[in-house]
Amino acid sequence: MSDPKPVQSNLPSQQDAIAAALALYPARPFAVSDIGSQTGWLKAAGHDPRNLYVSGPMGLATSVALGLASVRPESQVLAIAGDGALAMNLTSLATIAGAKPANLSILLVDNRVYEFTASVPTPTRDLDWLAVGRAFFGEAQCLRLSELTGTRWAGVARPAMIVADVAPAPGKPPALGLTPAMIRAEFLRATRSS
Amino acid sequence: MAETASGGDRLFRSIVAARPKLVTGVPDGMLAQTIMLCEASPDFPYIACAREEECIGVACGAAMAGERAIVMVQNAGLLNSLGAFATMGLRYGLPFVIIVTNRGALADPNGYDIEKREAFDAGVRPMARVFDFDAGDLPDDLIPAAFKWAEAARKPVILALEKRLGGEAAP
Repeated sequence: MSDPKPVQSNLPSQQDAIAAALALYPARPFAVSDIGSQTGWLKAAGHDPRNLYVSGPMGLATSVALGLASVRPESQVLAIAGDGALAMNLTSLATIAGAKPANLSILLVDNRVYEFTASVPTPTRDLDWLAVGRAFFGEAQCLRLSELTGTRWAGVARPAMIVADVAPAPGKPPALGLTPAMIRAEFLRATRSS
Repeated sequence: MAETASGGDRLFRSIVAARPKLVTGVPDGMLAQTIMLCEASPDFPYIACAREEECIGVACGAAMAGERAIVMVQNAGLLNSLGAFATMGLRYGLPFVIIVTNRGALADPNGYDIEKREAFDAGVRPMARVFDFDAGDLPDDLIPAAFKWAEAARKPVILALEKRLGGEAAP
């Protein structure tokens, strides 16, 4: 087993990484976030009717995003998953690679802890997520957020994956403050107006 | 050799009649014929998932956009997916249709299926509406009717298909 990855103090926050990934698109994509940290930080990065806050279980965002991408093929969809969450639904990468949605991407935010669970370290803290993504989607379809620009991202074929190393947050994100009925109604309107 | 499911073609025609936007699933022998017909259908995409819980997520993603989605899994697969079914399907009130092959019936006595059926009865029926059907004698309007029910109830509906002995009554 390799040595644990060093914790770097110059890493972006999860909120900033999510905002930077969304900014790669010329028009706001649908953003589907996993329960807990990703949902909280997505909302903190900017609430938008196109945000779909998944209420569980951990890791399901990639599958929900695949279903959405399939019924809205003209729209770009970005699934936002934490490293702990994606490890719980790793098979979804195989499914997405097989389905080949031409409008779906995954943002993997890797803070190496279960942020909502007292920041207990994840079992994947030593995993090379870039290599994992490239194994499923190909070398050119899995890139680090830090090396992407809007122009470069526009030229990347989908399905694709962005890996962002992020700093563990000192606390949890602000509460979502939305009921399931509110989330569903607002998101439904957004999907019908797109 | 693939298990032949009588009524597989009839189930497919009922699926087409409901005009789903997508169908997703994980194979079971009783569903194999229907799945292959769905894979070849030009009317909707069939998303082959690696694991059943993913199917629930895929269907929820489509339903969140107001589109019709169908899941096809075995009873053990739905048991693997109850967290997703509860925290997405039930919590958000999403009207999609789950077709479950309820293995381990009197006419389907594989030893490895018996506990799946008992767990399905104990774990799924108390939390969701399940309608039971003879897999060999499915109504033509089954899937359109299931969507009408789910959309009126604003929740997922489960159609449990099983092999029946001649004259055996529904559970």
